Amino acid sequence: MKNYDIIQHVTGRSLFIDDINVPNGILYAKVFYSQIAHGKILSVDLSEALSVRGVLRIITSVDIPGVNQIGGIVQDEKLLADDEVHFIGMPVALVIAESKFIAETAAQKIKVEYEKLPVITDPREAFSKGYLSIPPRIFSSGNVDTAWKECDFIEEGRCDSGGQEHLYLETQGAFSFPLEGGSIKVISSTQGPSAVQKTVADVLGISRNKVEVEVLRLGGGFGGKEDQASAWAALSALAASVMNKPVKLILSRHDDMIMTGKRNPYSSDFKIGLNKDGRILAYEVSFYQNSGASADLSPAILDRSLFHCTNSYFIPNVKATGYCCRTNVAPNTAFRGFGGPQGKFVIESAVYKAALKMNIPAYEIQRKNLIKEGQYFHYGQKAVNVMAEKTWNEAESQFNFESIRMNQKKFNAGNKLFKKGSAVMPICFGIAFTNTRMNQANALVNIYIDGSISFSTAAVEMGQGVNAKIREVISRVFSVSQDRIKNEPTNTTRSANTSPTAASSGADLNCNAVYIACSKILERLLLSAAEDLGENNSDNLKIKDESVYINDDKTTLDWNNLIENAYTKRISLCDYAHYATPELHFDKDTNKGTPFRYHVYGTAVTEVTVDCMRGIFKIDSVKAVHDFGTSLNPVIDLGQAEGALLQGLGWMTIEEIIHDKNGKLLSDLLSTYKVPDVHFAPGNVDIRFLKEPNPVGIFNSKAIGEPPLMYGIGVYFAIMNAVREFNSHAVPEFSAPFTPEKVLLKLYEKSDADGVRYESQTGEKSNIL
Amino acid sequence: MNTRISFLLNDNLISEELNPAAVLLDYLRSAGLTGTKEGCREGDCGACTVISGQIRNNTIVYRTVNSCLIPLMNVNGHHIVTIEGLNQKKNNLTPVQHYFINEGASQCGFCTPGFIVSATGFLLSGKDNSYDNIIDAIDGNICRCTGHNSIIRAVNDLAAEFSELPEDFHERIEYLIRRNVLPEFFRNIEEKLPHIKTMSGQKNGNETPKYFVGGGTDLFVQKPAEMLSSELTFLRSSDNLNEIFERDGFCFVGSGATVTDILNSPLIKDYFPGINEFSELFGSTPIRNSATLGGNINNASPIGDMTAFFLALDPEVILSGGTEERSVRLKNFFISYKKTVRKQNEFLKYLKFRIPGGEYFFNFEKVSKRTYLDIASVNSAVLLKLDNNFISDIHISAGGVFEIPKYLSAASEFLLGKNIDPEILRQAVEIADTEISPISDARGSERYKRLLLSRLIYAHFIKLFPNLIDIKETV
Ligand SMILES: Cc1cc2nc3c(=O)[nH]c(=O)nc-3n(C[C@H](O)[C@H](O)[C@H](O)COP(=O)(O)OP(=O)(O)OC[C@H]3O[C@@H](n4cnc5c(N)ncnc54)[C@H](O)[C@@H]3O)c2cc1C
Ligand code: FES
Ligand code: FES
Repeated sequence: MKNYDIIQHVTGRSLFIDDINVPNGILYAKVFYSQIAHGKILSVDLSEALSVRGVLRIITSVDIPGVNQIGGIVQDEKLLADDEVHFIGMPVALVIAESKFIAETAAQKIKVEYEKLPVITDPREAFSKGYLSIPPRIFSSGNVDTAWKECDFIEEGRCDSGGQEHLYLETQGAFSFPLEGGSIKVISSTQGPSAVQKTVADVLGISRNKVEVEVLRLGGGFGGKEDQASAWAALSALAASVMNKPVKLILSRHDDMIMTGKRNPYSSDFKIGLNKDGRILAYEVSFYQNSGASADLSPAILDRSLFHCTNSYFIPNVKATGYCCRTNVAPNTAFRGFGGPQGKFVIESAVYKAALKMNIPAYEIQRKNLIKEGQYFHYGQKAVNVMAEKTWNEAESQFNFESIRMNQKKFNAGNKLFKKGSAVMPICFGIAFTNTRMNQANALVNIYIDGSISFSTAAVEMGQGVNAKIREVISRVFSVSQDRIKNEPTNTTRSANTSPTAASSGADLNCNAVYIACSKILERLLLSAAEDLGENNSDNLKIKDESVYINDDKTTLDWNNLIENAYTKRISLCDYAHYATPELHFDKDTNKGTPFRYHVYGTAVTEVTVDCMRGIFKIDSVKAVHDFGTSLNPVIDLGQAEGALLQGLGWMTIEEIIHDKNGKLLSDLLSTYKVPDVHFAPGNVDIRFLKEPNPVGIFNSKAIGEPPLMYGIGVYFAIMNAVREFNSHAVPEFSAPFTPEKVLLKLYEKSDADGVRYESQTGEKSNIL
Repeated sequence: MNTRISFLLNDNLISEELNPAAVLLDYLRSAGLTGTKEGCREGDCGACTVISGQIRNNTIVYRTVNSCLIPLMNVNGHHIVTIEGLNQKKNNLTPVQHYFINEGASQCGFCTPGFIVSATGFLLSGKDNSYDNIIDAIDGNICRCTGHNSIIRAVNDLAAEFSELPEDFHERIEYLIRRNVLPEFFRNIEEKLPHIKTMSGQKNGNETPKYFVGGGTDLFVQKPAEMLSSELTFLRSSDNLNEIFERDGFCFVGSGATVTDILNSPLIKDYFPGINEFSELFGSTPIRNSATLGGNINNASPIGDMTAFFLALDPEVILSGGTEERSVRLKNFFISYKKTVRKQNEFLKYLKFRIPGGEYFFNFEKVSKRTYLDIASVNSAVLLKLDNNFISDIHISAGGVFEIPKYLSAASEFLLGKNIDPEILRQAVEIADTEISPISDARGSERYKRLLLSRLIYAHFIKLFPNLIDIKETV
């Protein structure tokens, strides 16, 4: 039961966009982008670039036959800048040449004159000037204003989390070629083929049925190719249409890093109130989201921060406000977790700070406030099949938190140069697109006369193994070998009006649609089999291991005969089905409803060792009990969990997006933006399966893509705890990533920055965990 | 510009007129070998990894390299093995591939060929099969999907299965062919390769080129386009420049010696037993296999690791300009940011240092945002001698804190004749702080770099003299 593609991958035979055989005469495009972060374009001089031999044309906004607009949620993003530029990296022109090299050389010769305008990179500054992409969003429950009075402890603070570069190993790209009758075909590296189709149609001013978008596979997406693949597809389509020739546009790593958005950085203010038992009574939070130069998916991301602002905790009085702040950096976008991680980091910081004040370990507050069956989330959804306490208890007993704590104490007592710390991180993540209408999918299943099967869905394969899961579903419904089943590339002519493969929901939505299509075919096949076998009641029939059974008796009718007979009888061997996730509703005015189909839970404990001489650290272990449901494919699900976890750890520690005050990205290459490597990976990652079936999941499974990323947040507090073992003066600052720089500065922080002094806890209740 | 380049590509002879400064990756992909991927073109992702075999001392030495940074001239006469070369028969997977499949060590698959090639290259290299070594073998490959855990499991399984690799090269090749790690054609490479080298024009370039090219790991990151049309002299195609030898109490390190060459040198290992630990902090396996000493020094980057390492030995560099040779103290070699005393027609031939005698201590420190495969925020090395507990000779270098690789002369001088105690060190650290002027950039703020250098100077002494210095006394 492996990711089907893996044999191709290990032999280097898998094709990615840039590997696909291109037609002769294909042209290459290179984007020329704004060199300043904010300004008016006064003039564009293309003459020198056009004179480079091999340059065929340079496209600017005037060449767009349709609309120069690619904004998804808010119509605020131009494909090619015309009057103003809003960030360094904003596309201005597209050079089309005979080779990539020529296009690159020529692009450097384009000259633009700008009138510079003020640059803002900080979301709080944008907020204070009123630069919001959408009106503020407020989620609330209970009444925080009256609740503060009942609190014995109230803590306030600020929390910042940085951006994160997706660093899908395959950069963005597309190639397009004109078809007859004004149609166009686009091969795109996108998570959202229908979004690409819409954008291309709008830009070219043609109807969507004239745009065919196909996706073979992606070399990683992580949200970065959900909305932001569209621009490159649209540019290559525009070029192909203007030139009436195939055109390929693949971004270099540097261009990709400069031009595409990242995880939204957040700056937040929190206020938390608890009673003396450690129960959280009230929580107020304001998120200043750095949305970048246009809204992109930021409003939806902000909503998810608001949904998940209480993480796994039940808090009776909540007020959460979100501001989508427009700045002059590349439009930020979806990244695995989609605002969830940003929201959770704040509540965890609040809990940590409250614990210091109350002089109790953070884990006591965490444990005490886990949401219970039947309680309500602050957005009005009732919590059912809750696994918060269950995963916590399992983790606590399987990994023995107590002994982790004791070992650490012992180690720290005996070591001056290295200190250990750890932290527990519970997670709770809602599954569904929070924009209810996106929760639908369709699928086409074809059985061929030789008994082989193919399927087409909207699911885009990017390594998450969605096609392997769909094969599993088909093979279970028909009880046939997986070797018979093949996936087709995702294509808008077969799967129309689809949602992007995102929100961890790709498998849920598409497996369900496939399940319905298969069930319809199965019903017909069993009727046909009943006829073949002279059995009146097809209910007594089933297929098992490629043979038809009557009750428990195997008949001579096998899969191949069954299919051939059905064909001969002119029974359809193909079907199409549509699935809409049931029971979802959400009122965008009151911000109440049931936005999620179910929630995913889990609890992790992270241990680190900090090198107090150098300020560097090693993540010793991350151990988790994760709520996988009944996994459709444990190898794939474990791989997803491990991969997500490491991205979370990277986001919290070494992945640092840095802009200078002119809005220039300084971390614009792999040499200046560091993602986890093999040495960074924790020595021990132990993710265990909580095998509680999910009654509303396909074959009782649960979504996996995003939730485990949020275990990574624990590392922040583990490092902080270790630092405080060395330097009890260190005052927590809640500013991620916790880079070696910040660690060293904390290790050697002399006096307390804000005058507060927390006692180092060496008593029974050490704050180590 | 074109010149004849000849090499074996898997089991095919390539002999074509090519631009010697075109990088191998582009050649491979345009030849349809698209299993080798482009992830960054700057040596930082490993998706483009290939194996390069070269005759050295009458046998073939196979090492992994980043094809995105290797100019074709540097593969002239080599045997290049790509992912396509590993599976000659369809559906015949190698054990390396099997383990990756079993552990689910590939998700999107974009990084995977690079990992497979690195792990295969490791088995070929004849390195001892320890856990650390096999992890090092994939330290130049980044996977964004898997979190590396499944990959670590896969290579561990692999290391366990191949725990007893024959040391002898021929036996090893035979063994690996028998075990299906390598295709049959590997058997004949040793015969073919010497002829191939002689097929090419052997024109290395101009006497006064615009650039001397070492391993190219810097040049082809910084200015690949300019390389295509510049006058170049490829130093690595001339033999002998990679030698490391001892003469008259001095150690000579050829400028063409790569980090790997330096590591493997018995002489260096003898004098710097800890070198393995230090060198792991330099780039990645494929970068170490290409990056030369000459490139590191002449780059004149303030944060060059080899430069900081050797600067503490207070060595000389020997510059050669055609017939003329001259020698310059390394600490006087650098003038200002990226400027050196080297003249346009000179190339660095050797680095030469007096072999330390008596009771000497050496340490190298480097801290970067990501501990491995990252450029230093600050690095530093120290060489010191003790005479009756007093410092009788000391040289401290520091990188990343000044416009050039910094020889901390005042701090070194201050420590001369002193004994090692926390108060003295505190003063030395304060003096060092006046010698530097770090700038804030992506690798850290000025404040951080100052603090970090002071901590690294303490770290030298805490590490070398744990009984004399207690970290708490340095706070
Ligand atoms: C991914 C990656 C990681 C890296 N990690 C590190 C690291 O950890 N530490 C570190 O210090 N560096 C690192 N580097 C930088 C680089 O690899 C080193 O500086 C390396 O030593 C350069 O050597 P080279 O032979 O490849 O240089 P080249 O690119 O060939 O040359 C560099 C410069 O030196 C000149 N030059 C080369 N040889 C001579 C000579 N003999 N005489 C005169 N001039 C000469 C060239 O003209 C050029 O200006 C890294 C680079 C990459 C791409
Ligand atoms: S392409 Fe990334 S290392 Fe060569
Ligand atoms: S499998 Fe996607 S980058 Fe490694």
